[in-house]
Amino acid sequence: MTRPYIPWLLVVVALALAAVYLFPLYWMYVTSFKSGSEIFANPPTFWPREIDLSIYPSVWTRRTMHVFLWNSTLIAAGVTAITVIFGTGCAYVLARYRNVWVDIGLFSVLMLQVLPASVMVTPLFVAFNQFGLLNYPRTAVVLAAAAKAMPFFVVLVRATFMTVPRELEEAALVDGNSRVGAFFSIVLPLARNGILVCAILTFMSSFGEYIYSKSIIQDPSLQPASVGLSGFLGPNSTDWNAIMAYSAIYVTPILAVFVLLQRRIVSGLTSGALK
Amino acid sequence: MTAQIELKNIDKHYGAFHALKNVSLSIAKGSFVALVGPSGCGKSTLLRSIAGLETITSGDLHIAGKEMTGVPPRHRDIAMVFQSYALYPHMTVEENLTYSLRLHGVGKAEAKAKAAEVAATTGLSALLSRYPRQLSGGQRQRVAMGRAIIRNPKAFLFDEPLSNLDAALRVQMRKEIRALHDRLGATSVYVTHDQIEAMTMADWVVVMRDGIIEQQGRPLDLYDQPVNRFVAGFIGSPAMNFVDGVISEDGRGVVVGAGDRIPLARQAEPNRKVVAGVRPENLRVAEGAASFHFEVGNVESTGSATYLTSKDGALQLVQTERLGFSVGDRVGLDIDPALVHLFDPQSGARI
Repeated sequence: MTRPYIPWLLVVVALALAAVYLFPLYWMYVTSFKSGSEIFANPPTFWPREIDLSIYPSVWTRRTMHVFLWNSTLIAAGVTAITVIFGTGCAYVLARYRNVWVDIGLFSVLMLQVLPASVMVTPLFVAFNQFGLLNYPRTAVVLAAAAKAMPFFVVLVRATFMTVPRELEEAALVDGNSRVGAFFSIVLPLARNGILVCAILTFMSSFGEYIYSKSIIQDPSLQPASVGLSGFLGPNSTDWNAIMAYSAIYVTPILAVFVLLQRRIVSGLTSGALK
Repeated sequence: MTAQIELKNIDKHYGAFHALKNVSLSIAKGSFVALVGPSGCGKSTLLRSIAGLETITSGDLHIAGKEMTGVPPRHRDIAMVFQSYALYPHMTVEENLTYSLRLHGVGKAEAKAKAAEVAATTGLSALLSRYPRQLSGGQRQRVAMGRAIIRNPKAFLFDEPLSNLDAALRVQMRKEIRALHDRLGATSVYVTHDQIEAMTMADWVVVMRDGIIEQQGRPLDLYDQPVNRFVAGFIGSPAMNFVDGVISEDGRGVVVGAGDRIPLARQAEPNRKVVAGVRPENLRVAEGAASFHFEVGNVESTGSATYLTSKDGALQLVQTERLGFSVGDRVGLDIDPALVHLFDPQSGARI
């Protein structure tokens, strides 16, 4: 009867890995509450002796965080909009038609997923420069990041579309709807959850987009929060609780959204897989 | 009678696969036509071509006198009941029923009244605000039917609508669909792989195999006069027995073994190799001298009938009397010579 022990072992391993991954998050919050001297105390304290929240408003104004967060939101919204509008159509076609061209399309979409942003950024920079897009750096970042987010979205939403039976569409056609009408009135409502979940994931990941923004946007008033944060960090940085407070302000909304929606996100991601 | 649906020389290719081979079929107005055949015979493809869900590679299709070959499904004014029912899961029963009406610009109040009327005839009145997932299989089936009849189409197309129901419900729905057809005076095309459904429901049965129509006709004509061995074996349950043999010297019987001879009602070409077809229900246990014999290999009793299968599995016999045979018994058999069918061993064609 050794079998019941195996799941326990796996649970312990999973918890240990989660702890390793989540510890920085905990440390971020804790450090942001500490005073300057306590941060450097040895041995370190795992819970601040005195919680000091005054760093939050001061960081907010000192680092003009509203500008950074606004830019982040703008970029994330732009990326999500482009990805959802084009990615949904693309995913539908890839889900419904089966021929050589569709296979080639699917393969190239998956190839895009493989290319890392750090490799793509230089050629993109050169191309955007040629097109004069660097004068609109946020637009340029939105385009680049949308291209990066697209494959993930397309692959997941395609799986969602595959779970919508073809016969429903055919029934709608026979009932008197057009191909496009059947897509909007039958297929889209049924795939809505999956699309919504993928859109949220796309939004959250592009909210933290860094590589393209860092390389393409020079003007600090147009930079997103991720780049603004890196402006803090340097070889001699000591302002740890301000940095941690900044990070906390940046990350907390995303975390909150994720925690609120996590049940739907998990079910949305697995519903395609189970069918 | 005028043809409601007219198919002329229809061909359909899926890449290299030739799914429909020069199919021509005329479906009379008000008739109930069943397309039967084994899976992959092209019956569903034919139905879907009529609906416009498949494009025809070549040939002509007319519905109610109008050329419909390349017309999209929505302009064909036909209704279809799918095997999976294809109810819209995000709509209530009422919304499912009125979907086509709303698409055709029928007003809300009128659509609602129409839905209530259809629901009453199909027994769905209490279920109008439910969602499909809250319905049983039979209820879903009724919604699918209701959705088809609500707009009074030129033809109803059924794609194996009963195959997801249990046996008892299937028998009941069979009658209901037929009754509905008669009441509406509709034209129906019904695809099934179940020959009993085809025989019991249809006025006209079309037997298909490998993309061609093997035979079409009234159900009993198909049963009595199958044009080839395939149709003979497909129509009728349990299936017709086929026995290899040679026509006797006098041409009045088929010699099927030592001293065994199946009598014929007419003169046949002597010494010709043939396949004799005899239906299990036409075989009788001989009272006097038997014309041929049979060793019992298996006995199945359902109460109303007894099914005997020969030791080699080649011959089956259905008797309504309880005969009390057991495995290993040698039984003498007889048959009315008029009920013996002869087929060519190579081509399978009726002789």
